[in-house]
Amino acid sequence: MISMTQTSIERIELHEPNPYLKSTSRLSSKEVCLFLAEYSVTLLGCGATCIRLEKNINRMAKAFGKKVELTIMPRHIHMTVWDEEDDDRFTSISSVKSAPISFSLNTRLSQLSWQVKDEGLSLHTARARYDAIASSDSEKPWLTLLLASLANASFCGIFGGDPVAMAIVFIATAAGFNLKQMLVRRHVDTRVVFFICAFVSSVIGATDYLFPTSTTPAIAVGTSVLYLVPGIPFLNSFSDLLYHHYICSFSRFTDATVLTACLSGGLCLGMKLMKVGMF
Amino acid sequence: MLFEVLKDALFAAMAAIGFGSISRIPRRAYLWCGLIAAIGHSTRFILMNKDLLDMHIIIATFTASFVIGVLAVFASPLAKTPAEAYLFPSLLPMIPGMYAYRSFGGLVMCLLGSSQEKFNFYFYQFAENGLICVAIIFAMVIAATLPIFMFKGKAFTATR
Repeated sequence: MISMTQTSIERIELHEPNPYLKSTSRLSSKEVCLFLAEYSVTLLGCGATCIRLEKNINRMAKAFGKKVELTIMPRHIHMTVWDEEDDDRFTSISSVKSAPISFSLNTRLSQLSWQVKDEGLSLHTARARYDAIASSDSEKPWLTLLLASLANASFCGIFGGDPVAMAIVFIATAAGFNLKQMLVRRHVDTRVVFFICAFVSSVIGATDYLFPTSTTPAIAVGTSVLYLVPGIPFLNSFSDLLYHHYICSFSRFTDATVLTACLSGGLCLGMKLMKVGMF
Repeated sequence: MLFEVLKDALFAAMAAIGFGSISRIPRRAYLWCGLIAAIGHSTRFILMNKDLLDMHIIIATFTASFVIGVLAVFASPLAKTPAEAYLFPSLLPMIPGMYAYRSFGGLVMCLLGSSQEKFNFYFYQFAENGLICVAIIFAMVIAATLPIFMFKGKAFTATR
């Protein structure tokens, strides 16, 4: 009799999801775990810190009437969801989705976790909203290209570069960043992308030496590759360290260091090719 | 002086918005991002100015990064965006690019150097610039992340 009641509620929920109706049916640990696992690999993949992931997952699990334990590894998330009132438990191991850093996606996924708690969303509705969020994270490449180029030219200005150096850095960044967008779309290894883009930008940046009116060519070369600095992994690495996620912290730090080394290698080769001295 | 501070703030704001777009921050956060970077970077500019406070670059960077961290935590609920979204773009204008550049250059010249005298000179250049660069990065990251740790309640309910 009890199981029939549960089944009918589940059926109503599946066919007529009401986002403001708090789900009263007992959800299985498996369906909750599978949803939370997918949510967590997307959130971690878009550049969220471990503490944010833990908080969001715990918030949603509690709203669904479940308990959760998770182990966050650099490339996998190990999660167990269980019900305190019976033996229903489910464990999953999922691979972290490799995706570009996106605070927009991070923000909307965090908002979803609050909606699950505050509005009492059913699992069905939460999943529908998650799917909509995960599939709609897009950017306007030309706008990002323009803003990134302006940003790097401003950098050159901050470091004391003259207007000619700023113009050269703008062009160097536009070329390098456009190349980066193309290579990323073709799924070229990130380390190779960093090396090639740093090389191209530094070669173009070094052309500032050809302008007799320019007084700050060294600043143009030095700042032409700064758009590649992997700052978010460095910051997230320290955040993870503060909250005792040492393995993820070390992994993020190592990733960022490897990318910085690739960037430096490309810069060095570019300078060598252009016969630009270090000082 | 005022012109210099405003120029610095404008460049920092433009750099922050551009780097915010690379890390795909929500559009509504662009303005806040630029504002936080402008305040943070001009704070460092004033602290380091020889005619004003003449503070050491590491202490000035620590102070300015802390200001950025606090502003990010308190601005995050206004744009309903996690505080971390503001940190990187706002901190990036303070990245010690020239120190890193000179340090790396020193290392390369050190390896290519032919005499002991040259080696000593470039090794000194590598070590001095490298140490300052690392210290600045640590100061930045620690000072900017601390406010999120200190105001956990506010930082993690920003998207509510």
